Amino acid sequence: MNVMPNEPKVEAQTLRQWLNDSDLWLSFKDSPITIMAALTTLLIFVLAFFAPIFAPQDAFNPAVLNLMDGFTHPLERGAGSNMLFLLGSDAQGRDMLSALFYGTRVSLIVGLCSVGFSMALGISLGLIAGYVGGRTEQIIMRVADIQLSFPGLLIALLIFGVARGLIPPNKHETTALFVIIFAIGLAHWAQYARTVRASAMVERTKDYVQAAQLIGIKGLPIMAKHILPNVMGPVLVIATINLALAVIEEATLSFFGVGMPVTQPSLGTLIRFGQQYLMSGEWWILLFPALTIVILGLAINLLGDWLRDALNPKLR
Amino acid sequence: MSAQAQNASTSGAFVTVRDLKKTFDVSKPWLERTIERAPKQFLKAVDGVTFDIKKGETFALVGESGSGKSTVARMVVGLLPVSGGEVMVDGISMTTTVDSAAREKLRRRIQMIFQDPYASLNPRWRVQDIIAEPIRAFNLLSSPKDITDRVGELLTLVGLSPLDGVKFPHQFSGGQRQRVAIARALASNAEFIVCDEPTSALDVSVQAQILNLMRDLQDKMGLTYLFISHNLAVVRHMASTIGVMYLGRLAEVSAAKEMFRSPRHPYTRMLLDAVPDLGMSGRARIPVQGEIPSPINPPSGCTFHPRCPLVNDRCRSEAPLPIAGVACHAVQEGRMGEMAARKLA
Amino acid sequence: MTQPVLSVRNLKVEFVTRRGILRAIDDVSFDIAPGEVLGVVGESGAGKSLTGTAIIGLIDPPGRIAGGEVLLQGSRIDNLEKEAMRKIRGKRIGMIFQDPLTSLNPLFKISEQLVETIQTHTDMNAAQARQRAIDLLTEVGIPAPEKRIDGYPHEFSGGMRQRVVIALALAAEPELIIADEPTTALDVSVQAQIITLLKKLCRERGTAVMLVTHDMGVIAETADRVAVMYAGRIAEIGPVREVVQKARHPYAKGLMGAIPTLESSAERLMQIPGAMPRLTAIPKGCAFNPRCTEVFARCHVERPDVIPVGLSQVACWLYDTRKEAAA
Repeated sequence: MNVMPNEPKVEAQTLRQWLNDSDLWLSFKDSPITIMAALTTLLIFVLAFFAPIFAPQDAFNPAVLNLMDGFTHPLERGAGSNMLFLLGSDAQGRDMLSALFYGTRVSLIVGLCSVGFSMALGISLGLIAGYVGGRTEQIIMRVADIQLSFPGLLIALLIFGVARGLIPPNKHETTALFVIIFAIGLAHWAQYARTVRASAMVERTKDYVQAAQLIGIKGLPIMAKHILPNVMGPVLVIATINLALAVIEEATLSFFGVGMPVTQPSLGTLIRFGQQYLMSGEWWILLFPALTIVILGLAINLLGDWLRDALNPKLR
Repeated sequence: MSAQAQNASTSGAFVTVRDLKKTFDVSKPWLERTIERAPKQFLKAVDGVTFDIKKGETFALVGESGSGKSTVARMVVGLLPVSGGEVMVDGISMTTTVDSAAREKLRRRIQMIFQDPYASLNPRWRVQDIIAEPIRAFNLLSSPKDITDRVGELLTLVGLSPLDGVKFPHQFSGGQRQRVAIARALASNAEFIVCDEPTSALDVSVQAQILNLMRDLQDKMGLTYLFISHNLAVVRHMASTIGVMYLGRLAEVSAAKEMFRSPRHPYTRMLLDAVPDLGMSGRARIPVQGEIPSPINPPSGCTFHPRCPLVNDRCRSEAPLPIAGVACHAVQEGRMGEMAARKLA
Repeated sequence: MTQPVLSVRNLKVEFVTRRGILRAIDDVSFDIAPGEVLGVVGESGAGKSLTGTAIIGLIDPPGRIAGGEVLLQGSRIDNLEKEAMRKIRGKRIGMIFQDPLTSLNPLFKISEQLVETIQTHTDMNAAQARQRAIDLLTEVGIPAPEKRIDGYPHEFSGGMRQRVVIALALAAEPELIIADEPTTALDVSVQAQIITLLKKLCRERGTAVMLVTHDMGVIAETADRVAVMYAGRIAEIGPVREVVQKARHPYAKGLMGAIPTLESSAERLMQIPGAMPRLTAIPKGCAFNPRCTEVFARCHVERPDVIPVGLSQVACWLYDTRKEAAA
């Protein structure tokens, strides 16, 4: 059989061609705000994750700190070590800039891991509910409904409290990271489950699923290999926005004192420190961590907005 | 071997469908029913369908919406459990679940091509993976190189290029996607392919390409087709035997040439007359009446009676049984002459 | 010579996208006389539905009319303000779309929708409008219209709904009706009924009809003239008998040959190799040249204008050379 002449030639696309063609890239290029948001986020991520390289000072190693440097104003040199503190120093002579890098790192780890956890949980339950249907679906969805009627923060607090009770006191600090990730993650799975269930229900009726069932594939392989790739679109948008939310939630919890401990502070913990000095004039200890959260949250939200519009086929 | 299997092999039929039935429970939710004291409602989508398909031939099942033809297709292929009746392919029953090993082997030999080229291929999979899926599922080949070669062969067979394997479905046109679907159906070395309106969603010129392709493949590989369609003209080019369905029952089963030359059942005649006259031959047409009733509350007796120009009391009360391939009292009573008298010039 | 009801001259429709400007309709011209049914036929992507949308002024950005004129009874309507166009739509141009489920508002009774349309475009009071609505329903063949008029769309079957849509389109006695795939969503036996009805009503009223469809069979039964569109251009336009039985443009010929019919005896359907080009990749010269079996040099270079051949007009250089050779 001859190859049909002049059918739209389907050629292997190089990355450059794909980019040229891709609506996603084109809409990205056209929006200066999105580019800025992306660059900002990228910058923050890089600085945070490579904190040991970029930070002028190993901020949470007590051996490095010099008490005489305490309360240095921003852009001044410390009285003790004569180091230049770009963003000032706190009560113990800790460089705020470095503290910011390390703190952001913790915040981002919590944010990313908790989003990852709620995605994994929510997507799995959503897939099962959407594909299997019946009683299973009813049970999963009612649990999701109940969960969604509670504010996320309250649930996180509840879980944190329970964990506090269960874990022996000497382990509290070392396990704090995991508890917080678990708490925030568990508070948000229901959104993913709902979206994925709806998409899974649509995909389940499509012919390509029937074609797979026809050759004897059932259950888990169909859900994982066939349906999952097709329901990820809206999930990514939710995940991006939830990342910002998770960072802020973690900050809130740490601010209340139920989040990350002093030894592994996040941005929220830093804000908690800084609060006590706000009225006595050392404003920089509070301001910079707070600003960082705002900027990070804004940048991620803008990215999420762009992603949602770019992935929406109706707006293209 | 059951008596029916004996029957099948002696009659030379590759696929036998006997008294196939499918009923759906479309009752309202329990709460509403209890409050309204309403009875359970059932939809008889397929109500006793019987036909045979010989090896290497094309059997077409034709009908309008609500006729149950797609439901029959899905039962034959095993995607839908049957409510009654039996389907046998090459002497092995699809409907009784006893010997699962034999059924597994059978599964490889039966495939389906779907109507919507945009929904029948997973948009996130590459074409080569889509086509290779049956090969992997049935363990027909194991080395990746063998599989890639086979996929390339299949792509060439359906008129595409082996280089197209790395592409995604959205990079192809509707007709090309349907070719991929055909390649996938052939990947498991299937012998019996059920085609559910494979060209209804395609443009006319593309339809011609696909239909010609399907016929060429059938000639080349000895395939057996069960071809579902609502378009009698298309079916005429593909099928050797045609079954006309109406509201879940077979109105008429005839050899294709016979059916077009002298249709017997009044519904068949109505369908033929409803096909637009492209040749502008000015052929006589019987006035068409009414619309297809809802399958939940079908008319009594012969389900076609409200629209039939030859209806009598027996038609209203008694469902006709198929005799010599036609289920019609008028035909059996020899009243077909009245049809000719009613034709408009 | 009576003035045509609708006159489309050199219509061009473009879409401004990130990838550049795409010409979806490229220099299309035709007329429709009073009481005439013009079929506009073509495959997906040919631009036939878009032509209808352009005529009634419903093209949304990024699409726009980039050139040409649309004249209704001799006066231009393509350059009207939104409000003026809105008055014309419904009153002077009626529309019938493919899916009756979406043309009728499921939340309102049929009576409300009909009466609203009638009252918007005429100055009848409610009682008169209701009576007119009942009369219209009788005309389109709805049994017991006085009772059924108070029903909701979902209480009607597909064919009945489409009849109601026809009644709605005719309610204001328009001069032109644009019907976009009016029978595609219906069963074959109902299709025939609806086509006959539409034809009869329009003939009685002298309404011009632009019937857009991909179904050649419907055209053969209903239309007086037919325009075959390809890649946003008209390939051939002429009386329906001419075009269907003696198509001249190679694409039109191929199309007619590819349609399976009850009468043809060919074992193999005629097939046209390849597929219609995407808007981003329309070939230079004649858009059909890559797929044409009778292509020659000029086809790759110059785009053909419509050339009169017999009673039709064909956009193909084959017919020009013959003229020259004869001259």
